[in-house]
Parts: sequence; C-alpha cells; structure tokens
Amino acid sequence: MTDATKPYVIVIGGGKVGYHLSRHLIERDYEVTLVEKDRARADWLAHHLGSCCIMVGDGDEMAFLATTGIERAGVVVGATGDDEDNLVACQLAKGKFGVRRTIARVNDPLNVKVFKAVGIDVPVSATDLLMGLIEAELSGSDMVKGVAVKASGANLIDVALPALSAHVGHRVDEMNLPADELLVCIVRNGEPVVPSPEVIIEAGDELIIYSRTLDVERVRELVSGTVRRD
Amino acid sequence: MGCGRVGSTLALRLLREGHEVAIIDLNLASFNRLGENFAGKMVLGSGLDEETLRLAGIEHAEAFASVTNGDNRNLMAAQIAKEVFKVSRVITRLYDPIRAQVYRELGLETFCSTSIGMAIIADFFATGSNRGPALESAAATPTGAS
Repeated sequence: MTDATKPYVIVIGGGKVGYHLSRHLIERDYEVTLVEKDRARADWLAHHLGSCCIMVGDGDEMAFLATTGIERAGVVVGATGDDEDNLVACQLAKGKFGVRRTIARVNDPLNVKVFKAVGIDVPVSATDLLMGLIEAELSGSDMVKGVAVKASGANLIDVALPALSAHVGHRVDEMNLPADELLVCIVRNGEPVVPSPEVIIEAGDELIIYSRTLDVERVRELVSGTVRRD
Repeated sequence: MGCGRVGSTLALRLLREGHEVAIIDLNLASFNRLGENFAGKMVLGSGLDEETLRLAGIEHAEAFASVTNGDNRNLMAAQIAKEVFKVSRVITRLYDPIRAQVYRELGLETFCSTSIGMAIIADFFATGSNRGPALESAAATPTGAS
C-alpha cells in the first residue's frame, strides 16, 4: 500500500464531492484514503472504489486519524457538507500531524474568510466558483482564462473584451495598464495582432495579458475600463 | 453561543454580576431556559454566521464563550470570535478531551467537561471528596487520564 512515489491524499467525507474527487484521484494514480463516518455509505463507496481506499471513522478524531497514515499525507481534503467539520479536520491534520497542504470544501461562501484567517491553505467554495462562472456567462463578455507561466511565477490571462469596454475604439497605449500587467497579444478574428501602441482596439478582440497576479477580477475590471454610457 | 444548560446558567449569572450579555441559539425554544424576565439580548441564529454574531454585538464584546453541544461548531465559532472579531477573551467548551488539548496547544482557550466530570468521579472514588487532585489536573490538561 505504501508507495513513496505516489502522492498520498486523504479525503474526509464520502458524499458526492468526496466520492467523485477520490475516484478522479485514483484514476490519476494517486494513493487515496477516503474517510467516511457512515458504515452503510462506506460499504457503497468500497464497492465502487475498491475496499483498500475506504476507512470508516470520524475525520475529527485524532486517534482515528493517526491510523490513516496521515503523517505521510501530502494533502488532506476536508470534503464533508459541514464547514465546521472540514475546518477542524484540516486544522488537526496541519497542527497535529504536520500535513503540508490542507484543502477544505467551504459550503457557506461567507466562511471562506474565516478558513483563510485560521490557516487553511486552500478553502474552496463551490458557490463562489459557480457564481463566477454564471456571472461571466451573464455579462456576455468575458470568458477569462488564466495560465500560470511556471518559470517566472506570473500568469498569462486570456480575456475576451467585453462589448461595452471603454477601450473599444481607442489606441493600445491609451489602456494605461499598470506595471504588473502587460498586453502581450491581441487575437482578432483568430489571427494574432502585435499590440503596438497605435493599434486601435476593436469590439470582439481577445486580449492576452501577462500578469504577475492571477487576480481575474482585477483583469476583468482593467479590460472593461469604465463602461461607456453613450 | 449556545443556550443549553451551561449557556443559559452562565448568561443569567453574568447578568446578575452586572455584565451586558447576549446569547445566541439556533432554536427559539432554548431561550425558555432563561426564564421570563431575561434582561440580556437573545439572538436567534447560528453562531457561525458573522451577521448573527454582529447582531449579538460581538464587535464590542470583551468576552465570548462557545458552549453548544457540537465540538467542531464551538471550535469554529471561537476562532471566528478570536481571529475575525479580535475578541480578547474567548473560551470554548468541548466534549472530546483530545481536541481540547490539541486546540489549547494551538493557542485557543478550551476546557473539556468530559475530563472534568470524570476527574470529579475519580477523586470521589479515591478519596471520598469531590475536590481532589485529579480535578486539578483535568482542568490544567484536559486530556487528563485518557
């Protein structure tokens, strides 16, 4: 069972999220232990995922966690439907077993701030993610996609210019991007256009922006500029 | 937070001592424990919800105690009080002795009613008095004799 080359992930909570996450990780050849409190649910999970990856127990009990081999886990994921349970499981993993990275499902998006404040590495709010996607669809404009450029730690962000962007009809050098952002390329009708200062930005342009941060919200604001009212 | 036996008794006592008190509970019926002329503030809602905590006046609170019957809920609420609202005195009651010790080590003030109750019984069996050495040690290190 122990294989030093495989990353070891412990997933706490075998509901829909925990189940699908574990299945995905197992398919990608991670070593996974899925922790589930409920015996009947655990049997179902064992049937679908294989019994070796399922343990029945309480992810908030230290004595139980100690039996999962948690001290060699690279990542612990709190994936239950209860924020307080995810929080405590992750804090125990980090504070008591020295797990380097803790990821917690946050059911109430208002709790993201709390999770960050008490040291959870990655709080994930499905509601926030969904809202972001839906908002992008509603605004009709911008599928914003970011790609990390590994060597420099910066990001390439690909954003479709919103139709109402204040930059449409203006020159590239009038965008006045801050020092942290650089317009690398304009994609117009599928063709790359070098963004020389005098190039006029057109509706429908796609902008590829080099950014030090992956603050998609900020980039979205930058490219939309002040919305024109005429 | 939590208007059970501990929470309601504590609230009434603090009021008698002249403090301003707000008590939070999810369940309206729990407030019956406070009697008819409760002079404090009763707030219906979850103590994990910042809006509810604000309604209870946490922004100017000097102390916060989480005493619901859910350990994790208590731990999360206590950390919200301490880290988000910067309440200076925060304490939380837990049933699990191990969690109580772990969080104490992590810098959160906790006590474990299980350890304390167990210690009283152990002391009584050993000495015939219910105020013996085991209780002292349970209050100091919540895992006690686990």
